[in-house]
Amino acid sequence: MNKKMKQPFDISQLVDELEPVRPMNIRRALILPVGMTVAAIAVIATYAGIRADLMAGAPHPMFLLRAGTLLLMGLVCAATLLAMANPGVGRQGHGWKTALAAALLFPLAATILAIAGQPSGSSGTMQSGIQCLTFSFIGGLATAIPMVLWLRRGAPVAQEKAGWLTGLAAGGLGAFAYNFHCPFNSVVYTGFWYTLAVGICALLGRLIVPRLIRW
Amino acid sequence: MIANEEGLRRLMRMSQSGDKQAYAVLLEQCGGWLARYFRQKIAPDAVDDLVQETLISLHRKRASYDPSRPFLPWLAAIARYRWVDRLRQSYRHQTEVLDHHDAAEESHEEVVGARISIDRLLDLIPSPQAEVIRIVKIDGHSIADACIQTGQSEALVKVNIHRGLKKLAALIENE
Repeated sequence: MNKKMKQPFDISQLVDELEPVRPMNIRRALILPVGMTVAAIAVIATYAGIRADLMAGAPHPMFLLRAGTLLLMGLVCAATLLAMANPGVGRQGHGWKTALAAALLFPLAATILAIAGQPSGSSGTMQSGIQCLTFSFIGGLATAIPMVLWLRRGAPVAQEKAGWLTGLAAGGLGAFAYNFHCPFNSVVYTGFWYTLAVGICALLGRLIVPRLIRW
Repeated sequence: MIANEEGLRRLMRMSQSGDKQAYAVLLEQCGGWLARYFRQKIAPDAVDDLVQETLISLHRKRASYDPSRPFLPWLAAIARYRWVDRLRQSYRHQTEVLDHHDAAEESHEEVVGARISIDRLLDLIPSPQAEVIRIVKIDGHSIADACIQTGQSEALVKVNIHRGLKKLAALIENE
């Protein structure tokens, strides 16, 4: 039995310590990961450059599809995650599952194309894949930090889920930022390397985040 | 005075603004509500500690209450979290066997919907897991007793407790 809890408990102590607090609001919280994603795009653009088709003002359809899917998944996961700081029985957001399922169409399509042996454009090199992972991871880390800090202020009650969602949101937004540089338009490249980047971020989130937000 | 949703919500809003008088009333009301909430869900001699821990959590995490939402589901989520945490602690340490008492029957407040109760939470996990958690973690019987009562082997009882507590932790916000 916890010895500290055996000491007499005085409600007036808590009352004396009361200070006004600003209720945590998800709209305020979303500004940070969105801002960090914009910053990550700026850093990647400065360091590695922007895709040629974007610079020419004629984006390839794959860029648009990838950007839309990653942004949707990243934002929906981030919103679900940040809402977890305000717990409540009956509060269960499931939209992130739909967004994740939509994103999984890329690896699914890549697998089908690879099995069928159909040409799908350049699949890049190991070096370009590693660059995709590195930039996505750094961009994801930049968005994950403010989200974890927000959760630490709040009262998340499902910490494993919060870990997965942190990784998915950060991985999705980090990969979205890298997409502005990525010169490859192949479904196989996207299905493999982007899935790997988001998957690794999700796994790291599951392993690291729960212990950071326990209360 | 019996706590009700609207009254507690108003008190919490005032407390978030720093109104100490409202906060004192809120803590007292919540203390009573929590004592009823936890009764028969943990050994009787642990109820007071659990109520205290939950009130401290309420104090530390009061900014996480969104005033535009109902209060009791928020308090119930905090309470369930502390309850599961307490069950896990006793599972980890296993230092003492709790005495079994028949807690006094007390009617639930009308405002406390069955959907936020702890019973509801236990209903959401497989019955063999809920059964051994009730016997060992809530009623305070030994693993050996649980084996006799359920027909499960000792290893299975331990596995079911472990898995059940993990599932409970994941289901805290479920209705």
